[in-house]
Amino acid sequence: MHLPDDLDDYLRGDSALSRQYRRESAPMPPHALERRVLQDERGESEVARGAARSGGHGEKLPYLAPLAFAASVLLSLALVLASLFGPQPARHSDDAPRLVRTAAHVGLAQNATLNHRQHLYSSDPPHARARAAWLADIGALRHAGRNSEADAELRRFRSAYPEYAEAELKAVR
Amino acid sequence: MEPLDEDAGLMLRYRDGDADAFSALYARNKGPLYRYLLRQVRNAGAAADLFQEVWSRLIATRARYEARAKFATYLFHIAHNCTMDFFRHDLRVQHRSRAHAADGESTEQEVPEHQRPDGIAEFAEQQSALLAAVARLPQEQREAFLLHEETGLTIEEIARVTAVGVETAKSRLRYAIRKLKNALVPAENLVERAPRKRALNGAVNGAELNAPT
Repeated sequence: MHLPDDLDDYLRGDSALSRQYRRESAPMPPHALERRVLQDERGESEVARGAARSGGHGEKLPYLAPLAFAASVLLSLALVLASLFGPQPARHSDDAPRLVRTAAHVGLAQNATLNHRQHLYSSDPPHARARAAWLADIGALRHAGRNSEADAELRRFRSAYPEYAEAELKAVR
Repeated sequence: MEPLDEDAGLMLRYRDGDADAFSALYARNKGPLYRYLLRQVRNAGAAADLFQEVWSRLIATRARYEARAKFATYLFHIAHNCTMDFFRHDLRVQHRSRAHAADGESTEQEVPEHQRPDGIAEFAEQQSALLAAVARLPQEQREAFLLHEETGLTIEEIARVTAVGVETAKSRLRYAIRKLKNALVPAENLVERAPRKRALNGAVNGAELNAPT
């Protein structure tokens, strides 16, 4: 069916039908519905802005990534050089008995120094101490009359140096 | 490319983060969109749900917006898709209801109120003669008419929104106009025309609006 007049007239926009339609009531969305839509939009925008804030630094500060990489490389290089050429950690001299050395350093009476002995030596691995210094410490304990501690130290000495001749330990027994 | 309309410019600003542009866009389009949905689905509750759904989709997809055509074609294409989803859902409900009816079960709880013939008639009765006639148009013809009246879209733009050919869109609009004009003929004219029509067709069917699309 071809009705050119109807459609052409209508499409010109001033047909009686269009005028009548425009005169009809024009309902609008209820206010509660409008509030829901606008709240949705605000919620989405907040999410988008939050994402932009947390994920958008790369765009805002493009120099940060290479700067962080360069800093990491420099730090690693400095650590390697320091471990190769830096000052070595100071080592304890084993030339003198540690008990005597400690006492001289803190200036305390010998008995007072002996009270600190376990705190000073308890974490030392057995082989970290020279035999002579260790024996001197045991001797000092004996000399101070603290025989039970001297015996315990002697047992530890023997377990650390089982090859040490019993005859050589007579002085500290 | 078609020249940008004002709404497309607002949408571009909104896409780029200008929240005020959305407010303006919403204010300019809420009325036509709401009336299109209300008169398409003929139920205020369903129209409200669809109205919110359309804006939600627009908000969610704003980052992908490109001003390739008039903004109304973009907005009402979303509205068309939402409406089609709504009708498809209702069609499934209707099919289920018919299946239950065939099994002898009650269908009272299954068919949405706005899909029942009496619900549509009630909606139409609350309208003026013209809007009642619009409500009784077949859905495709009703949509073509509403798109043109509410947004001023051309035949080509209506075809784009509804994803059909230009000739199909033109045909739908033509039938819609003809049926609406016939429905609005004053009663006395119908009485005068009735004997002539009866003589031609053997029956009066002036109130029947459901013709092929």
